[in-house]
Amino acid sequence: MTDTLSTAPAPAPRGSRTRRRIPLRKPHRAPRRTGPPAAFGGPLTAIPWALPALALVGVLLVYPFMRSVYGSFFEDNGFTSRWTGLDNYARLADDPIFSRSVLNTLMWVAGTLLLPVLLGLLIAVATHRMRLGVVAQLVIMLPYAISGAATAVLWDFMLTSDGAVNQVLRAVGLDGLAHPWLLEWPHNTLSMIVASTWQGTGLNVVLFAIGLRAIPRETVEAAQLDGASGWRMFRWITLPQLRAVTVVVVGMAIVNSLKAFDMIWILTQGGPSRSSETLALTMYRETFRLFHVGYGSAIALVLTVIVVASAWMYLRRQMPSAARD
Amino acid sequence: MSGSRYPLPLPTLARRTVLAAAVGAVATACGTAAGQPAGKVALHGDNASWEEPLAAAGRSMDSVAGLELVPEVIPSLESFEQIVKSSLRTNKTPDMLKYSSGYRLRDLARTGGIEDLTRAWENAERRGWVDGSLREAFTHRERVYGLPMNMSYWVFFYNTEVFAEHGLSAPHTWDAFLDTCAGLKRAGIVPLHATTDGRWPAFIWFMEVLSRQDPEFYEGLMNGRESYTDPRAERALATIADFFDRDWFTALDMSHVDAAASVVHGTLGMMPGGTFMTPNFTSAGGEPGGDIGAFVLPMADPGARPAMIFESSALVCTVKGPDRDEALRAADAWLHPEVSAAFSGTLQDGSPNPRVDAANPLLEGVVDTVRRDRLWLLNRFWELGPPELVEATVDDLAGLLLNPSSYRSVLRTMQGRAEEAWQVWREAEQS
Repeated sequence: MTDTLSTAPAPAPRGSRTRRRIPLRKPHRAPRRTGPPAAFGGPLTAIPWALPALALVGVLLVYPFMRSVYGSFFEDNGFTSRWTGLDNYARLADDPIFSRSVLNTLMWVAGTLLLPVLLGLLIAVATHRMRLGVVAQLVIMLPYAISGAATAVLWDFMLTSDGAVNQVLRAVGLDGLAHPWLLEWPHNTLSMIVASTWQGTGLNVVLFAIGLRAIPRETVEAAQLDGASGWRMFRWITLPQLRAVTVVVVGMAIVNSLKAFDMIWILTQGGPSRSSETLALTMYRETFRLFHVGYGSAIALVLTVIVVASAWMYLRRQMPSAARD
Repeated sequence: MSGSRYPLPLPTLARRTVLAAAVGAVATACGTAAGQPAGKVALHGDNASWEEPLAAAGRSMDSVAGLELVPEVIPSLESFEQIVKSSLRTNKTPDMLKYSSGYRLRDLARTGGIEDLTRAWENAERRGWVDGSLREAFTHRERVYGLPMNMSYWVFFYNTEVFAEHGLSAPHTWDAFLDTCAGLKRAGIVPLHATTDGRWPAFIWFMEVLSRQDPEFYEGLMNGRESYTDPRAERALATIADFFDRDWFTALDMSHVDAAASVVHGTLGMMPGGTFMTPNFTSAGGEPGGDIGAFVLPMADPGARPAMIFESSALVCTVKGPDRDEALRAADAWLHPEVSAAFSGTLQDGSPNPRVDAANPLLEGVVDTVRRDRLWLLNRFWELGPPELVEATVDDLAGLLLNPSSYRSVLRTMQGRAEEAWQVWREAEQS
């Protein structure tokens, strides 16, 4: 191992395998152009090729975002608007519906991180070396193939007061546990998180299963030779090896939970009495149902800040350092 | 191989042609409405079940006025209102719309994007094709901006066989109504349907009870002349809270479809609803006018002017629609008895045209009651008051149904909202 530390590599002995040097081209070693500049190849050459992408991002993302920021300083009913400065943001602080909405959004984030991610990991590990494990994974994956709207309709049958869940509870003598699941906060939000878990866990199982298969056999065998098994194997070998996949799964879970909409809209429409709204629903209702366009824009901006900040902080912390260099 | 052995060469398309076609396709797709061929007018609505009735009315209109209606449905109230409001200022707006009456119609009329239909109304009224008492619901600043499409009466549906089995009959007084509820409860049947399912139905009980206890106050409150903190509003909510205390209501997440089926199967006593819900009973195996009957909720105050709630959608013509002139001609013909009969007969709902026969025996009984008792027709809660106020108070009322004892604080919240919303509405009226 000492030769790797030497500054000048020793000549390789005859017959031994030599590591092939891969030439690295650094900027200062780039070939200098001599003679007159070519028609193509200047520093601005890439711009025409990037323009369509820049235009799309500009028109579909940057402009609407800036327009929303601008609109959030107005009281706008869709037809007339009046400059109100930061009033919409001040109103957010006093609005109990907005506070409840933030709380529900946080519950969705926490719930989506705890349930589908954790369950996905556990199921993937449990079925990894199991006979028919792939079949089990496929069965768990099936709900993911159903649309969010159809899932919501299905869970509506389950969660209403006279629905399947309460009927089963009553049938087995657990009447005390029967509950109007969608009518009262926080049961409605928690029930919908469970419904979302039922649908979303499958994808996480598949992603973790892919990660498990990518763990080098040598690493596992070396750990086994060192006496690792069970929890220690999982904690010190499997989990660190799954880090890259976990970053993706958790990142997706955070973003998906912050934009949860379809299931809530179909199951409760954010109600009753706006008790199960998340920020996405509050933004929609204020903007498109109540035509408080300026106030809705302010909520959209708050949601955007939360999504971008959480994604940025999470990725900055979790992505391998090499990726950031 | 059934095809030719030597495939024909594909026509070569210049890239420019392809690009032009793509741009054209995108531009077409971006539009919300395109003109119809001559003799046809598009009518956009939010209710898929109205498609066939509108088509039937269109066929009838073709024979009466040489114009055919082409129904186009956006089956979501939210999407429909968004499209209507955002497109009115453009020339991509639909020609005709099915819209709400009352303040929602006024809200639309204030934009200047819909046509004044006063002349069409007056022609129809002169011919006896429309009930003149409905005019207020379609009027903004003394001009008419919509024509009534249907006429839904808000009644209580019940199962006549179940009532007969337990020695009950449709109540004609408030006390008889309370006795009926108590009788059903004793018989092990849930007496009344109440729901927040779908959000909007949360207002039904407040509307029904308040309009029977004091119809003048209901009318004043809904038009911003009275206060939600008035003892009369409090009394209505206390009555509802009392019904909850007596355990007379269903679970609040029971939909109207399920409730209709429960009435048909005898597990639910009565369901308040508009006559537009009649098909729900038919779908569940009931026979409106047979085993399914309907009565108008009796007045709680016998001294008050007898009243009931109605609901009527508005036929609206847009100013910038591509077939504006044909749309106006279609509006002139809309209330023609043949067109109205084709529409209400297929829809199985009431007609605003007094010359049209009731579509089924259940409706016939209701219409007879309305005419015999000269009932004061009050517009529905949803259509009264600034739309944003109604949207918010519906959520407040849902909160009340979930926690009936909170009615005092709910009323204070509602009054706070009402003051703010009415001020905004009146300022907009003056501008």
